[in-house]
Amino acid sequence: MTDPMSENTQDSIDAATAPAPVTMDNTFAQRALHNTFKRWGARVGLLWIALLTIFAVFAPIIATSYPWLLSQKGVISSPLVQHLSVVDVTLLIAFVNACVLWFLPGSLRQKILIFITVISISFIASYILIKPPKLTIYEQYRLNEKAGNIDWVFSAPIPYSPQDYLRDYGDTGLEKPLQASNRSHWFGTEENGADVLSRMIHASRIALAIGFIATGIAMSIGVVIGGLMGFFSGKTDMIGMRIVEVFEAIPTLFLLLTFVAFFGRSLYLMMVIIGITGWTGYARYIRAEFLRLRQQDFVQAAIALGLPLRSILFRHMLPNGIAPVLVAASFGVASAILAEATLSFLGLGLVGEPSWGQMLNQAVRSSSFNWWMAAFPGGAIFLTVFAYNLIGEALRDAIDPYLNKS
Amino acid sequence: MTDYILRRLLLMIPTLLGITIVVFAVMAAAPGGISAASLVDGQNLDPEAKREIEAYYNHIYGLDSPPAMQYLRWLNNVSPIGFEFDDNAEIKNFSFTKGSDLGKSFRYGRPVAELLSERVPITLLLNTISIPIIYIIAIAIGVYAATRRGSQFDVISGGVMLALWSIPTMLAGVLMIGFFSNVQYWHWFPTGGLSSSESGRLPFMPHWGSLRDVGVFLLSIANATCLSVWLSVQGSPKFRAIVIALIAIAAAIVMALALPESSQSFGWIILLPITLSLLTVPIALSDYAVLRIAYLGLFGLILGIAIAMHFTQGSFVKGFLFDRLWHLILPIICLSYGGFAALTKLTRTAVLENLMSDYARTARAKGLAEDDVIWRHVFRNSLLPLITVAASLLPSMLGGSVIVESIFSIEGMGKLAIEAVQTRDRELVLSITLLSGLLTLIGYLLSDILYAIADPRISYD
Repeated sequence: MTDPMSENTQDSIDAATAPAPVTMDNTFAQRALHNTFKRWGARVGLLWIALLTIFAVFAPIIATSYPWLLSQKGVISSPLVQHLSVVDVTLLIAFVNACVLWFLPGSLRQKILIFITVISISFIASYILIKPPKLTIYEQYRLNEKAGNIDWVFSAPIPYSPQDYLRDYGDTGLEKPLQASNRSHWFGTEENGADVLSRMIHASRIALAIGFIATGIAMSIGVVIGGLMGFFSGKTDMIGMRIVEVFEAIPTLFLLLTFVAFFGRSLYLMMVIIGITGWTGYARYIRAEFLRLRQQDFVQAAIALGLPLRSILFRHMLPNGIAPVLVAASFGVASAILAEATLSFLGLGLVGEPSWGQMLNQAVRSSSFNWWMAAFPGGAIFLTVFAYNLIGEALRDAIDPYLNKS
Repeated sequence: MTDYILRRLLLMIPTLLGITIVVFAVMAAAPGGISAASLVDGQNLDPEAKREIEAYYNHIYGLDSPPAMQYLRWLNNVSPIGFEFDDNAEIKNFSFTKGSDLGKSFRYGRPVAELLSERVPITLLLNTISIPIIYIIAIAIGVYAATRRGSQFDVISGGVMLALWSIPTMLAGVLMIGFFSNVQYWHWFPTGGLSSSESGRLPFMPHWGSLRDVGVFLLSIANATCLSVWLSVQGSPKFRAIVIALIAIAAAIVMALALPESSQSFGWIILLPITLSLLTVPIALSDYAVLRIAYLGLFGLILGIAIAMHFTQGSFVKGFLFDRLWHLILPIICLSYGGFAALTKLTRTAVLENLMSDYARTARAKGLAEDDVIWRHVFRNSLLPLITVAASLLPSMLGGSVIVESIFSIEGMGKLAIEAVQTRDRELVLSITLLSGLLTLIGYLLSDILYAIADPRISYD
């Protein structure tokens, strides 16, 4: 079985780097990925995303007002562990699990299955077992320390929780980065005295989650609708394209605004909304691919064998037509993050939790211009969007045989 | 062709219906639905009276009838042909001449058509200025990068454009307004709006107190621009880079010293020269003469204006034109940088595909000049994707101006749209949807017609 793409890809690889050997288990997808991450742009992008993931997973450990370990009158305790929430614990377990599975042998399918099982078990277990105290008093440890009740204390590198307004200091409020000598706010504080860096680290969770889940929803809707349109063509295609046109003729931002303004604010709702306003592009790509594929012999053979529609569409056609969708998805993650930031910036985002867009909004609403409140969260949005765009572009160049031909 | 256009226009009707149904369904399905609650919200009334007055408003705007009924009534009002009602809301007759009525916004208590006619020109003004800028820059850089594929210029411009594309508009807007129009830093630009409060009394053209000032102004601008253009056409890249770096560092130090006392710090003295040199030196080093002349010329012009502003002491009346321009500069930059970044990449890809085609090789083989090959053959064939983008550019800029208008507090369509959804103003939301949908569909139609003009092989008959 020879891959028709192999020749093109082989030609395309720059002279400076040796081509990947083509063997049976070296599939087109693997070679495309190999080609993608050979480019420095994609590597830098991936590095930033990885860093962000680590920040997101370890946020409650890196930036928290609860000391890691402290000894009070001879009793050693860890307030940090006591205050971890269910989500924090599940995320930590998921991260460790993913790291271990990465190095273990086994097929991708098995790994995904194990991963999902472990996560569900750990979520249920932690939901039952973990009961963090409802009352959170951030300043109690600092007050105790000042009063000399604590023998020794081992704090986090950023010893401020995102909603710790440092009431015990009394004189807090806006502070430039590294302004006060007795407390170190690397990125300054916002108007209420909360640490900007800590808020940013905790907000990276929202950015990552929104990006992946919203794009996942948009992609699933787009693939199903586009796949049906492309496979059946004719009337289904006509009606489907009209629906796509309707959604495309409404400016996305306006549709988003309407949805959010009328349906209220919650993180999960926002993911769903960004997902259902952004599926049209994927539907178009998949439709075009399926229209091309449906005449090919292997699809005709699958139909003749009497395979169920689900199997024809998703097992036989989809793997051959997914490439442009993956490129679009990479850019889609970037635009989902931007969409969330925009909504939060316009004051339609989350209320309680900090997000990067909401922090930008905070910077605008304050009476004076405080550059650190705008530049750091805005810079984080920029870097993340840039990283996804870099990956997307490298992916597109890697799978586009036409551009590589010269 | 006429047949085709007519058919397309008729096909727009179901799509427009679909668009308004989607938006109306979102509004009606939401918890709380469409109601006049927001009108009553701010008032300090006891709950009983509040409910009464809400019911009253709901009744006069017809918000108490079922959603399907509301939508049909709205549709009937908007469509140019439909039923006419008498005073008791009974159907009187079917009329072909009743004309369309967009209704009355219940937030503002004014006809929607009137509100739109106030706001649309402002957004159009922003867009008609930025679209040509977007296209000129995108084509100039995209074509050059494509013809020198893999060169240093191509790689660097590709990276820069991707970065520009990734900068969120709100970050750019907030930082610009924070640094360049805030009294804490450089108070060079107005903080918002489209004209100063006294602009109504100003004469149209700017004028100066004395003839000497006019002379100084023109002289410094002409000198600075000519000097920088002269510099940009010098042969040696090293010479260009060193001179422009020196000028940039000098300008940056002056800029740092111009800061108000409270925000002066040593950091600026280091940061500003680096930033300004990074903004100018790479351009001075590049081998693209046209870009160099345009960019450095602009840099010189800005320097000239700054010097002139410093040395003219007499009274200076900005004038309406100058005042408007002053207000427009920052919003236009915010509105266009993302657009030309995306379009540059697209132009490059389109030109690249055509450069490798057989007809381009044939054209070269028969001895055509390279410029002719690129601009008469390749570029013309690369126009199709650019036209496609143009079709979606107009409505997407309506969306993009939402952010820009809310940062720079410009009273345009974007700001109206936010206010409309926030106050759940049914009439306004539906009308804005209808208008932007119409614009999009007309954009698609125009692009299809332009296809036929750009490429004679395409015909719709």
